[in-house]
Amino acid sequence: MRGIQGWALGVLLAVALFVGAGCSLGGDDDDNGAAATDTGEGEAGGSQEGGGSLLQEVIDRGTLRCGVNDSVPGFGFTGEAGDPEGFDIDFCRAVAAAVLGDAEAVEFTVLTAEQRFTALQAGEVDVLIRNTTWTSSRDGTEGARFLHTTFYDNQRMMVPADSGVQSLEDLDGETICVLAGTTTELNLETVFQARGIAYEPLAFEETDPLQEAFIQGRCGAWTSDASQLAGIRSNWPEGQGGPEALVILEENMSKEPLGPLVRDGDDDWADAVNWAVISTIAAEELGVNSGNVQEMLESEDPEVLRLLGQPAPAEAGGTPEPFDAGLGLPADFAVQVIEQVGNYGEIYDRHVGPDTPLELERGFNALWTDGGLQYAPPYR
Amino acid sequence: MTAAAPTTARKPPLWRNVRVLRFVLQAVFLLAVGGLLLYLVDNVVGNLERLGIPTGFGYLDQPAGFAIPDSDFSSAQSLGDALLVGVQNTLKVSLLGIVLATLLGVAIGVARLSTNWLVRRAAALYVETFRNIPVLVIILFWYLGVVLRLPPIGDAFEISGVTVISNRGLVVPWFDQVGGALLFALIALFGLGAAAAVWAWRGRRFDRTGQPHRRLLWAGGTLLVLLAIGFFATGSPWAVETPERGERSTTGGFRLSPEYAALLIGLALYTASHIAEIVRGSILAVARGQTEAANALGLSGFQRLRLVVLPQAFRISVPPIANQYLNLMKNSSLGIAISYYELTKITRVSIAQQAPAVQAILLLMAIYLLISLAIALVTNLVNRRLSLKGRR
Repeated sequence: MRGIQGWALGVLLAVALFVGAGCSLGGDDDDNGAAATDTGEGEAGGSQEGGGSLLQEVIDRGTLRCGVNDSVPGFGFTGEAGDPEGFDIDFCRAVAAAVLGDAEAVEFTVLTAEQRFTALQAGEVDVLIRNTTWTSSRDGTEGARFLHTTFYDNQRMMVPADSGVQSLEDLDGETICVLAGTTTELNLETVFQARGIAYEPLAFEETDPLQEAFIQGRCGAWTSDASQLAGIRSNWPEGQGGPEALVILEENMSKEPLGPLVRDGDDDWADAVNWAVISTIAAEELGVNSGNVQEMLESEDPEVLRLLGQPAPAEAGGTPEPFDAGLGLPADFAVQVIEQVGNYGEIYDRHVGPDTPLELERGFNALWTDGGLQYAPPYR
Repeated sequence: MTAAAPTTARKPPLWRNVRVLRFVLQAVFLLAVGGLLLYLVDNVVGNLERLGIPTGFGYLDQPAGFAIPDSDFSSAQSLGDALLVGVQNTLKVSLLGIVLATLLGVAIGVARLSTNWLVRRAAALYVETFRNIPVLVIILFWYLGVVLRLPPIGDAFEISGVTVISNRGLVVPWFDQVGGALLFALIALFGLGAAAAVWAWRGRRFDRTGQPHRRLLWAGGTLLVLLAIGFFATGSPWAVETPERGERSTTGGFRLSPEYAALLIGLALYTASHIAEIVRGSILAVARGQTEAANALGLSGFQRLRLVVLPQAFRISVPPIANQYLNLMKNSSLGIAISYYELTKITRVSIAQQAPAVQAILLLMAIYLLISLAIALVTNLVNRRLSLKGRR
């Protein structure tokens, strides 16, 4: 009798456990929204049919979840008030302003270089704006969809000013520090192997031990994106000689087009985010900035009116409806973006421009009309 | 229960039959667990396919694209080869760490029971310090606070031709093969065989005559003599290579990288503190009567320790010490914090270079499992040999 009672209790417990586990697993799947509904059917690519787009989910949720960096001054850095600030952060806010109408409705998730793609794939963040380079294998095997490049960067090398190193060849036999999990590691190997320069890599997970190793002379050079090196150099402690103690070599080791990215397979969301970003460049091209956007609502230029979601003037024979590109964004999304965040030039000058500690000239990031590469597709 | 039940041999109905119930319940349990696992695997594979991420292990044949310091690995070799280098590095730090931790741990453990007050207190201080600080913090302290603070290569501390110490590594002279060593290897094998024979002979002589066998000296001596003869007879196939200091690195000799050194020291100190406590506990667990009997026999303190207490304490301490060995091996994965290219670091680098994360981590876990099982196997063999016959 006692044996059966014991067994009965055991069975009840086991059944309860599995029912509980099954319920909670089902619950987690639903929370992942678009990520869950096609389980087991093996669909690849294309927009979601059963679950709806992330665009609708973000609108319903009311906040944008943005994956960012917190250790690159100028791009993604924790400011003195403890809030994240930077070039990439502002683009997160621009997307939130476009989709939700409120640039402050953003939830920032700090991610390391190695976590970022996994976090995006798993749906922990809606968009990743974290100084990430657009490469083919990231488009392919990482299941990522890259959007309009916001910053054309290059990889460069930083050395102590008193080391006497003037070119990459002078670094033969050197130990070179690099941040783990980045394209920088790969490029370093490719470039140095192609030129036959011997070196030893040292790849740290975090910037802090890397900086310590560089200061102590464990490695004689530090390679990263030029924009990151500029940020690090601008923050270099006075006790170590301040920014003058470091030199960033002019040689470009690789192309690093940095931009926002979203998950593969959700075209509606990708388009919405893309055009939110492009609107900042289009605004700068048309001369619209946060100071004059309200006046520009009365502009004579039909392109400006179209961008700002204003109907064409009646005497020009235009329809009374504002232009709707079918992106799922409100008609005046560009006004929200420009008013609350600014146009591309304002964002650039605020965080990484010549008047900031980073002192980066527009260079390749100037508008195409000024000889740079920033070129907005027509909003039409 | 009354005794009024009829004693016919009628079997209980199926739904009340204990044997049937047990079988059915186990079958249901198995189906439930199997079903759960199938569902999880299907979920993962389905989601990966939907995102366009490759499933399967084909990525191991792709070229690695990254370099590994302190090795001959070239970036054109495959990711599978990179993982092998990682396994090598993990074993390098784990095995040496195990040896150092054991030596230090046993010494400190015995010291904690010393009659000398200062020795006892010092050992207790060591144990309390290193047991209560997280091992990652210890490793970071050794790397950032000690090893990196060694002089940079430009001001390296050198004893000419013997050693170079800087924060880029500790380099000592080492052997460099300059000639054919096959013949020497054969002679060495012969020497080992001869040493074993001498060992057995001296043992038998001891059994026969009772005179001290000193077989370690005899066998060791035979081996050394034969190795020396072999070495010079085959034309000295190895020469000593002394380290030279260059502007950025050293050439020649055997180099201990700073990352390896910091990881090894941190792991060994931490694990030694745990082993010390285990040793102390197992010594205290040996019956008091043994110590008293040894004293009555007139054995000195050291003889008592070596001949009576430690052998018995050793038997008790093997399973918990085996546990500490496994912990040390797993803690070697903390090398990622200081850029030591062991297995976990190389897996993380390959994930960042587009290896699929799920498969890479599963493979990582499987490799750690294999290494752990290997260590456990060896310690279980030792345990079985030592355990009392009745308890096996």
